[in-house]
Amino acid sequence: MLLSCAATPVLAGDLNLKLVDAAGRPVSDAVVSVRPAGGIPTGPIRFPWPTTMIQQNVAFVPHVLVVPVGATVRFPNKDKVRHHVYSFSRPAKFEIKLFGQDETRSYTFKTAGAVALGCNIHDQMTGFIKVVDTPFATKSDTAGAARIAGMATGTAKVTIWHPLLRTKDNELVLNIPIPGSGAASKTVPLTLRSAR
Amino acid sequence: MTLFYGVLFLGVSMLSLYGTRKAIENYAEQSIRREMAVGSALFDRIAAMQVGQMAQAGNVLASDFGFREAVGTSDAPTITSALKSLKGRFDLQHALFVSIDGTVVGHVPGLSAMEKNQLFDALDMGQERGIARWGEQSYMVAASPVRAPVLTGWVIFARTMGPADLRQIARLSSIDLHPRILPQAGSNIGTGAVREMARNGERILMQARAVPTLIESAPQILVLEYSLTRALRDYAPILWALLGFGALGAVLAITGAFIASRRLARPIVALEAAGRKVSAGQHAQVAVQTRDEIGRLARSFNRMVNAVEERERQIAHMAFHDPLTGLPNRTLLREQIALTLSRHGNANFALFCLDLDNFKSVNDTLGHPTGDALLCEVAARLSETCPQGLVARLGGDEFAIIMPDGNADQIGRALVKALAQPFDVNGHRIVTGTSIGIVFAPQDGRDATELLKNADLALHRAKDDGKGSHRFFESAMDAEAQARRAMEIDLHDALRKGELELYFQPLFGLSQNRVTAFEALLRWNHPERGMVSPVQFIPLAEETGLIVPIGEWALHEACRIAATWADDIRIAVNISPVQFRSATLNSIVLQALARSGLAPQRLELEITESLFIDNVEATLGSLHSLRALGVRIALDDFGTGYSSLSYLRSFPFDKLKIDRSFIVDLLAHDGATAIIRAITTLADALGIETTAEGVESSEQLEILRAEGCNQIQGYFFSRPIPAGQVAALLEKLSGDRMAA
Repeated sequence: MLLSCAATPVLAGDLNLKLVDAAGRPVSDAVVSVRPAGGIPTGPIRFPWPTTMIQQNVAFVPHVLVVPVGATVRFPNKDKVRHHVYSFSRPAKFEIKLFGQDETRSYTFKTAGAVALGCNIHDQMTGFIKVVDTPFATKSDTAGAARIAGMATGTAKVTIWHPLLRTKDNELVLNIPIPGSGAASKTVPLTLRSAR
Repeated sequence: MTLFYGVLFLGVSMLSLYGTRKAIENYAEQSIRREMAVGSALFDRIAAMQVGQMAQAGNVLASDFGFREAVGTSDAPTITSALKSLKGRFDLQHALFVSIDGTVVGHVPGLSAMEKNQLFDALDMGQERGIARWGEQSYMVAASPVRAPVLTGWVIFARTMGPADLRQIARLSSIDLHPRILPQAGSNIGTGAVREMARNGERILMQARAVPTLIESAPQILVLEYSLTRALRDYAPILWALLGFGALGAVLAITGAFIASRRLARPIVALEAAGRKVSAGQHAQVAVQTRDEIGRLARSFNRMVNAVEERERQIAHMAFHDPLTGLPNRTLLREQIALTLSRHGNANFALFCLDLDNFKSVNDTLGHPTGDALLCEVAARLSETCPQGLVARLGGDEFAIIMPDGNADQIGRALVKALAQPFDVNGHRIVTGTSIGIVFAPQDGRDATELLKNADLALHRAKDDGKGSHRFFESAMDAEAQARRAMEIDLHDALRKGELELYFQPLFGLSQNRVTAFEALLRWNHPERGMVSPVQFIPLAEETGLIVPIGEWALHEACRIAATWADDIRIAVNISPVQFRSATLNSIVLQALARSGLAPQRLELEITESLFIDNVEATLGSLHSLRALGVRIALDDFGTGYSSLSYLRSFPFDKLKIDRSFIVDLLAHDGATAIIRAITTLADALGIETTAEGVESSEQLEILRAEGCNQIQGYFFSRPIPAGQVAALLEKLSGDRMAA
């Protein structure tokens, strides 16, 4: 990830967040995106994970996928049943109608924002694609930890998004000072809706 | 009693009425409670059903792809039109869409902005169904989440729950519970159990219960109420009927108790009154009217009264009558006398006292049954003789008769004559007789006691004067009796005081020409009267029985004195019939002999002929046993009284003492000598000695000597002399003899 930042000023710091819910349990699949003090460096954004949203066992895998703006996400179907993927989300409103096993469709996300995916056939299937316009983005692991490195020193605007976060647009924005070297560590409690 | 049962029944009726009322109240209350539970459950069911219907409709819409698309793209006109379309399809009253960002699409009257926020918050917290109050109106609300695919909002359907809607639900339950839905805040109504409260004078049962509320911060309650007063009003006819029956029952009970108590109490009162009369000694019977227990009791009572009276009559009869003859007894006679005396004041009547002559010998020889039968015959004959008199038996062979005054002498004679007629009793021909004493009331006695006593005196006089006659009482008899009584008292003390003394009169043996014996004679030296004649006090002593101790003393004294005399002089002692009959005579004789040391053959006991009158067998037995002691037996006063020669044959007397009357006659009548000769000849032939008593002259002595009399006793030789003069007398007589 830091490869893209090689030409930026030398001083750089890390951010270590631990995301927990109201009961102190770790929250996974929370997307953390940071706009550092110096702004976002230009250039294409690449993440080390594939931009693929698989339908497997009547579920979207991964549940939450972080992609940069402009990324084309593939939707391979590994189930025997057919799926009808749709999104009514404002950043990307699309439909991929009834495609069968081993068929792969794709869609290019041109606007940053959260896209909720559903299947018109299987109501219980939900997945999220978070389209970000910063290279400093990741999602929390099962331990609730999210690490972002190599950011310019200064106050960074940290946006935390989670599909169940009880805020407008499911987002929480924090200003966190990033040290010149080392890491700013913070535990952030999140108020979540119960999963329905 | 009537009142008691009436009040009792009334009390029971009131209690039952009260109990019934209480039970009805309880029942009504229970019914209402049950209805409330049912109504409450019914409300829940209907609410759940209607909410379910709305939710179903909501779900249909929420899962519609096109709708979701409209929601997802925030296409408000499409949403509104979709809601409207569904409202029409499902006949829904109100429809809304609340988006996840709080935007509300659609319209509900009265829904304020604040209430919109509350609604969103509730939805956001996950509430989907329940009652909500918007404005002044309650709504039943169902929310269906719209997922596109994430939760983007809720389709809300609502139905008003106004009074009209609730009344429709209420109509499904059997009673109108006036269901109302109120916000709990400000209602002041606590939820929970059924409570009773008063309102406008009615008793209201009310229950309030929380209902599922959509907005938790504004809880709603369902209030059910019912007027208990109105419920009880439905039962009022039953209570009135019960009251009526109770009153009717009370009247019946009082009437019944009155009749029963009359039936029961009246005979008991009658029995009680009769019982009181009976205990007061009156005759009483109870009229028996019924066949029940009371009737039986009355019959038993009547029987008991009759039995008691019969027994009383028997007892009274027994108390006043002689069981043997059935004649009135002494008690009744005395009462009759007293009654007559008191009733007639100076009424005159005569009282006869009778005594059978020789009745004892009839009893002894023929037995008591015959004696009793004779008494009955006598009673019958007396009643026959004096039909107009009161004949009573006083006891034993004594009878008494009360007769009106007049002809007493004639009646007395008639009675003597009547009883002199022989009786035929048990095959025996019995000849008895009677002696009668007669008194006149009131001159001969003031009361029954005195009259009977005086009649008895007259009777004794009659007996003394020779049996088979009647005597009238004279006041002299009473004086004499009193003198005798005084003497009797003195005589009682005479022995103890040593006033009695033995005198001795010599018996002169003509062949021996000397004194062969002395006869002991009792003398009473009374301190006031001087010497009292034996003729006076001996009969008295015999009558009173004092002769027994006096005779005993005389025997002892005679033997004691005789023992001091020469061995050829005997002592003769008179034994009275009373003394002779006493069982102790033998032992007394034995004691006297033993104590004095006198030889038995020197003691001569003189008895009289009268002993043979009563019981010859017993007399002979006693004589033989006396003879067995070795003493001599002489027959005194021979020739007077009974003078039967048969007993001379039956007992070998040692001596006959010829009565002085024959000796006196010797000089006056020629025949007297012949009698003396006959006696001496007879005695000689039987080997019996003879003694002549009362010899006073030498002429008499010569005749007696000529006629072979063995001994002489009398003044010719000596008067009776005190013991101290015996020795002198013997000496003088012996001197005379020497001289002669």
